[in-house]
Formats: sequence, C-alpha cells, structure tokens
Amino acid sequence: MTVHQVTSAEVLLDDVSTRRASAPRTEPRRKGPRTSRTMFLLLLPFLVLVFAFSYLPLAGWVTALYDYKPALGLGGSQFVGLQWFRMLVGSRTQLEQIGQVMANTFAMSGLGILTSLFPVFFAILLNEVRAKWFRNMVQTLTTLPNFISWVLVYAIAFSLFSTSGLVNTTLHDWGLITTPIHFLDSDNHVWLTMLAWSLWKGLGWGAIMYLAAIAGIDPTLYESARIDGANRFQLMRYITFPQLMPTYVVLLMLSVANLLNNGMEQYYVFQNAFNRDHIQVLDLYVYNIGLTGNSLSMAAALSMLKSVVSVLLLLFVNWVAKRVRGTSII
Amino acid sequence: MRSRKAIALLVAPLVGVLALTACSSGGSAATDKSQTVNVDKDWSKAAPITIDVFDGLANYQGIQSGWFGKIVQDKFNMKLNIIAPNVAGGGDTLYNTRVAGGNLGDLIITDKGQKMDELIQGGLLQDDSSYYGSMKSMKTYDAAVQKLNDGKKGVYAFPTQVSAQKPTVSSEGLDPTFGPFLRWDYYAQLGYPKINTLEDLLPVLKQMQDAHPTADNGKKVYAVDLFKDWDGNMMVMGKQPTTLYGYDEMGFVLAKADGSDYQSIVDSDSQYVRALKFYYQANQMGLVDPESTTQNYDTMFSKYQNGQVLLSWWPWLGQSAYNTTANTQAGKGFELVPMKDQNIFSYGAAVYGATQVMAIGSKAKDPARIAAFIDWLYSPEGILASSSQTMGGAGPQGLTWDMKNGKPELTDFGQKAILGDGTAEVPASWGGGQYAKGVSALNVTTVLPIDTDPNTKMPYNYKYWPQVQALTSTPLSKDWSSHMGNATSTMDYLQKNHEVLVAPGSGYAAPADSSEIQTIRNQVKASIVEYSWKMVFAKNDADFSSLLKQMQDTVKGLGYQKVLDFDMANAKAQNQARLDVTAAFK
Repeated sequence: MTVHQVTSAEVLLDDVSTRRASAPRTEPRRKGPRTSRTMFLLLLPFLVLVFAFSYLPLAGWVTALYDYKPALGLGGSQFVGLQWFRMLVGSRTQLEQIGQVMANTFAMSGLGILTSLFPVFFAILLNEVRAKWFRNMVQTLTTLPNFISWVLVYAIAFSLFSTSGLVNTTLHDWGLITTPIHFLDSDNHVWLTMLAWSLWKGLGWGAIMYLAAIAGIDPTLYESARIDGANRFQLMRYITFPQLMPTYVVLLMLSVANLLNNGMEQYYVFQNAFNRDHIQVLDLYVYNIGLTGNSLSMAAALSMLKSVVSVLLLLFVNWVAKRVRGTSII
Repeated sequence: MRSRKAIALLVAPLVGVLALTACSSGGSAATDKSQTVNVDKDWSKAAPITIDVFDGLANYQGIQSGWFGKIVQDKFNMKLNIIAPNVAGGGDTLYNTRVAGGNLGDLIITDKGQKMDELIQGGLLQDDSSYYGSMKSMKTYDAAVQKLNDGKKGVYAFPTQVSAQKPTVSSEGLDPTFGPFLRWDYYAQLGYPKINTLEDLLPVLKQMQDAHPTADNGKKVYAVDLFKDWDGNMMVMGKQPTTLYGYDEMGFVLAKADGSDYQSIVDSDSQYVRALKFYYQANQMGLVDPESTTQNYDTMFSKYQNGQVLLSWWPWLGQSAYNTTANTQAGKGFELVPMKDQNIFSYGAAVYGATQVMAIGSKAKDPARIAAFIDWLYSPEGILASSSQTMGGAGPQGLTWDMKNGKPELTDFGQKAILGDGTAEVPASWGGGQYAKGVSALNVTTVLPIDTDPNTKMPYNYKYWPQVQALTSTPLSKDWSSHMGNATSTMDYLQKNHEVLVAPGSGYAAPADSSEIQTIRNQVKASIVEYSWKMVFAKNDADFSSLLKQMQDTVKGLGYQKVLDFDMANAKAQNQARLDVTAAFK
C-alpha cells in the first residue's frame, strides 16, 4: 500500500525536505564587480520591500514626540518631547491598564502556542482515516473557516450566541433557561472563548502543513515498523509524531516570533463594554487609543512599546538558543 | 566606487519619501481676497459638477437622490456626493485621514471650535470673503456670521441653526428635545397613575409591561431599551434622564440650564449615577431588553416601530417611530407623562448658531457655485426644502404644500408624504421615488423651523399651520390633551406648568482640549461608558456599588480631576455666555 499520499500542499514540504537532504550547494566562484552588481540588483527589490514596509514606517515614531494634529501636519504640530511617555508611566491606573493589556496579549498568544499541537494531532488522526472522500470532506470543511473574515465570524457568533440568537432561543423554547445567557457580552472566560474561536477558524488550515509533512515521511520507516509488529497507534506514536517534530519546531519558533502580533481583528469585532478588560490586546489597545480615541501621538508612543518588547523577546530567545545549542541566532 | 553610487541612488529617493512623510500638508491655498465675485446668478446652465460634501451630520453616504437631489440639480446643475463619518464609523478616523490628505471635501459641515480652528490653520478652508458680499440670504444672519468668524482673517464658515428669535425662546417648537414619553394608551389603561419623580416610572412601567407582555408582532415587550452607538463622555442613555431635571453635559460636568448647579458625573449622588441606578432597578425588575447591550440604534428604532418598547426619552424616537396616523387614530402612541418634579432642559434659540458650521474646502471645485448653494440653503425656499428630515420643514412649495386663502396648507400629496409614513411616491416631474428617501441627506438645519417664513408669514414648521393642527388631532392627542389641562402641544403643557428650563442659546463653543486633556478624556470616557453598562446590568446592589467604586477609582487614577476642572471652568463660562446673550438680546 502507498503511505505516500500526494496532497497539494506537499510541494511546500518537499521544498523543505529536499533542501535539508541535499548537500550544501557549491557557488560558482566567479568574482568581479559585474557579478556582485548583478547579485545586488537581484537582491534590490527585496531590500526595497523590507525597507519600505519594515523601516520606513518607523519614521512614524516621530509623531510620538509631537502633539500631532492631522489638519496641521507634523510641521504645524507642537513638539512636546517625552510628554506622552511620561503620561504612560505617570499614574498607577495607567500602568495597571498597560499591565492588563500585556497580560491579555501574552495570555492569548500563550494559549495559542500551547494549543499549537492540536493541528498536529488533528493531522495525524485525519491521516489515519481510510475513506478518502470522508477525509477530503473533513479537510475541506475544517479549512474553510480560515477563509472567512473575522467580521463574518462575528456575524455567525452573533446570530448563534446573542441574547436573542439561536442558542438562547432554543434553550428558552426547551424550557432550560428563563433569562437569556450572555455569551458575548460577559467577562467570563474571554481568553478561552477567544481561543476556541481561533481554533475553530485555524485548525484545518494549521493541519495542512502537517498533512504534507506526513506525506513526506519515508514509507520504509512504516514498513519496517510494521514488520516489527507495530500496530496503528504505535506507528502514530513512534513514527509519525516524531517525524513531524522538526516541522512543528520550525512553526513554533515562527509563532513565538509573532507573539505580539496576535492580530487585532478578532478581538476588535468581539470587544464590548463587558469584556474589554480581558480582550484588549496590545494592537487593539493602540487602535482604541489612537483611532477610536483620536490620540494619535499617545498611540504612537504606546506602539513603540511593542518594538521594545519584541527586541527583549528576541534577546531572550537568543539567550536560550545560546544556552541550548551553543550558537546565537543573531 | 560604483556600488557606493548605486546605494546612494537607491537611498536618495527613499530619504525624499521620508522627508515627505515628515512634513506633508501645512501649505495653505492662496485665495485672492481683494476681488469680489458675484455668486447671485443663474447657475442652472453652468457645467455639471459633482461636489464632495464632508458632512458630520449626515446619516446617508452617497449621491443625493430623489426630489431634493433634483432641486439642487435643476438650480445648480450640481450633484452632491455625501461623505458621512457617521456611516463610515470609527469615530474621527475618516476625518483624520482626509484631513491628513489635505482635502476634507468641497463643502464641509463640521464643528466650530477646535475642528474649525484647526482646519483654518491648516489651510483646509477657503476664505469666502469675496463671495460673502453677494450672499443675499446669508446677510439676514450677518450677526451670527460675524460672531462665528470673529478673530479670523476672513469669512471661513457659516453658522447653522441660526434664528431671528430671542435666545431665551425655546428653539424646539412644539416638541421638546427631551422628556418622559410613555405609551399613553397603556398608561391610560392604568388610570393615569400619579408620577412624582423619576423612580415612580418604574412601578408604572412594570404594570404596563405585565399587562402587555407581547407586541402585535408576537415579540416580547420591554419597557426600556438601550443602545450604545452614541455613547460619548458617558453612556448616552444614562444622560437622558438627567435632562428631565434641566441638566446638560459639558464634558464630564452636568450643568443645569439656569446655572444653579454643576455636578461631576461620577459622584455617587450625581444625576447620572441616579439614572444608572434607575436602569439597574429596571433591569432587576425585568424591564430592560436584554438585547440592549448589543443592538444598535436602527434595531432599537424598529422595536419602537413595532410597539415593543414602552418608554422613550425623546419624542423624535418614540413618537416618530410609533405615532403613525393609523396608530394615533386607534388611540395608540407615545405622549409626555406629567412627572411632577420635572424641569426639562430645552435649547434656547441660538442667535449665533449651533455647534455645526458650513464651510468651503480650500481645494473646492467651483467655490462660487458652492457659496451660492450655501446661500440658497438660508433662503426660505432652501430652508423649507432642506430641513424636512427631522425638523419639520414643509418641503418644496407646489409639491407638499401651497398657499390657500393666504395661508400655507399641505397638499393632498403633502399630507400623505409628511403626515403619513413617508412612502408616498413623488411625481416624476419632481424626481420620482419615495418622498422620505428624497429628503435632504445633508441633515443640516440652516435656519430654525420655528422662525417665520417672510413669504407665508407662518413658521417654516408645518406643525404650526392651522390646517395641520386640525388634521393631526387624533383620539390619542384629544385624550392626552384632556388629561393635561387642555394643552395644545407638549411644549404648551410644559410652559404653562413651568416644567421646562430653557438654556439661552449662546452658541458657546468650549475651547479646544489640550492634547493632554483630550488623551485623558478619551481614556476616562471609555472607562465611564464601560462601567456604566456593567452597572446597569449589575447582579445586585452590592455589585452595583462596587462597580461604582471601581469606576470612581479608575477614572481618578487616569487623571479625571484634571479634565473635570477644565470642564467645570467651561461650564461656568458657558453660563456666563448665556447670561451675556440674554442681556444682549433683551
């Protein structure tokens, strides 16, 4: 039988595995000004992109030093120095709010990382399904939510879980409740419900990579294990799972790097007066202050916090890497 | 060497971009002030244009259509493309984006004070001095125009809601802006129980809701419905009950119209906290619609239309949604109840105009034509045509009304269109479409409809016309009137019983928040609104008190006192302005 199932996403992994397998490429040693210029020109578009999208926006930081008013432009706005930074750390309540926001950010990203094994298990189990049509159906249905925008997800959530939504109406009609349950406008278990929504949305999509990785596992491993008398669960436990780990670790590292970028769309659409305390992540907090509250300069000062924390995280990961592997990343 | 040059070539434009982002806009359009341009001419043959109208009042976005669109098209050969931040949502995001781009719009309707000053300083508004001389209709309100542009080097904006009335006269016509409006038919069934104060409404509402648990559409009836769309310095529905006692907000201060009291909203004994307690108690009694937390104004409005709500703090909510001809003929509808201790806040006629102003953008296409259009909006024809959305302007002569025996009267079509539900089809010669959909989407009131039309010698507001008063007499209004000392209108009752407190229309605009105040204010108000909602839906008294305490502590920690001091000073300055204007127009 063939273990090697070809999936569309296999290409992705093939790329990874072949690169790992092939010997280090030998560069043609043609030196000279001409070549280096060609190489530089090849590199140039990407340098420009990196500069335009990663460094140019940093110029916006300068608004944090001004009392920026769009109608007057930066030139016409007053220079206030570090006033906004002083304000951010000026009072206990202010610090507590930022603390809460950081706690929310780390908690929800952390929960996301903790549950990042879910797609692995999901992929392994899905791979064991023999009926092809059923497996494809499950895969399609679980991948679809990834392509639904958060606004629509909220619309679904609203029609299901609002006080007059399907769930409340049904429970009420069955006589199980007399007053509607506040699913959306409550401060209870916000982190967990948010995690549940993002899992629902991302599970199938997250599994694609692993399905491709499974397809790339050397079938001889399974054959020899089977000859040794391994059953299906042992194959999963001792072959598939360990073989997926390298892919998992790469993705895990990427998600750690994105710890602060947990996206504000989800929290933006789900936020309301009742759950704001626990749903406000850093990006959303900056948005609420800058755009909703119209304090652009303060928001700019606050968003610099993100870069500071990111650099700290990087240094931390680097330190861990140095300890564990003996080489640093940067 | 070469590669260094290449890098230099690469970096140079990027540095340029950086420099650009650092100092964009700021330039001001140069207008030649010396020349006067006559705008008072026939524009109907001018080349067709479409102007962008940035309209802070509009609740519709897109090209103005219907009969009002046709009038503007015929007179000015101009289409109005309305850009509405209210529709776009996101607070000032749209304003900021457009302003940063250096062009807010061709015609701009925005707030005086900080925004207007900034726009002038940033060179986004045009000096209209050269056109002002020939704006004939505007000249009637010259005092207000001068006052608005006082200290500015030119005529940059035109005031709205101006009036020739005295500032101590209520600007609101026959219906106040605020008031306790209940379903009068249900109230009557209870035998017109006495209501001494705000909290007395609760048992009455409870009995009303118990007697009528479901509406005609089979849905559950709730006495109280809330919504969050307009929450600002405080929860908007929390502010409304305070207006019954003559208070209006000035930031975080509730100021009484006569200057006799100023309250900080978060104080435990403030009227605002009293209002929150009122809702909290109502919720404990099962009177508050649980959908309140998530619904928007439109959803709530349709509940009023369906008779699912029993209490309205605004006549323009309960009455305009539910008091249709069919309902009032059947004796059903919202009417003001006699709450003994009420002293309802009323806005006096603003001789200097209201908060919003009209202005022409510095990059406007054909500014002379826009000036002519603005001027037309202040002419009797323009006032009648443009103020028909909410303020009771009668619409265009010949379509909805005409002169009969020397008096203005609604035509048959007018009666169907204005007194009915607005779905009447406009004749094709007037542009076709439903009447209500063709009203001016500018949603701006240039001149108060209580002012007298020099052509008809009657107010612009058709509700004052004898024919209309006879027509609108219904079983509901008769029953209400007979129990309210034969009052002819809500305002008539309130004035006779001294239950209305008119705040003289000073047109006072608070000075701009410094950015520090603004930042604190925005954080504080987010907290106040958040806690207010939690308090209304608190589990029990202890929970309510602890949330109140938390709110007070949080806002204090955020710097509430600083903003309060600022607002308090403004509230007192506003009162002084009210005293001044009263004296000036005695």
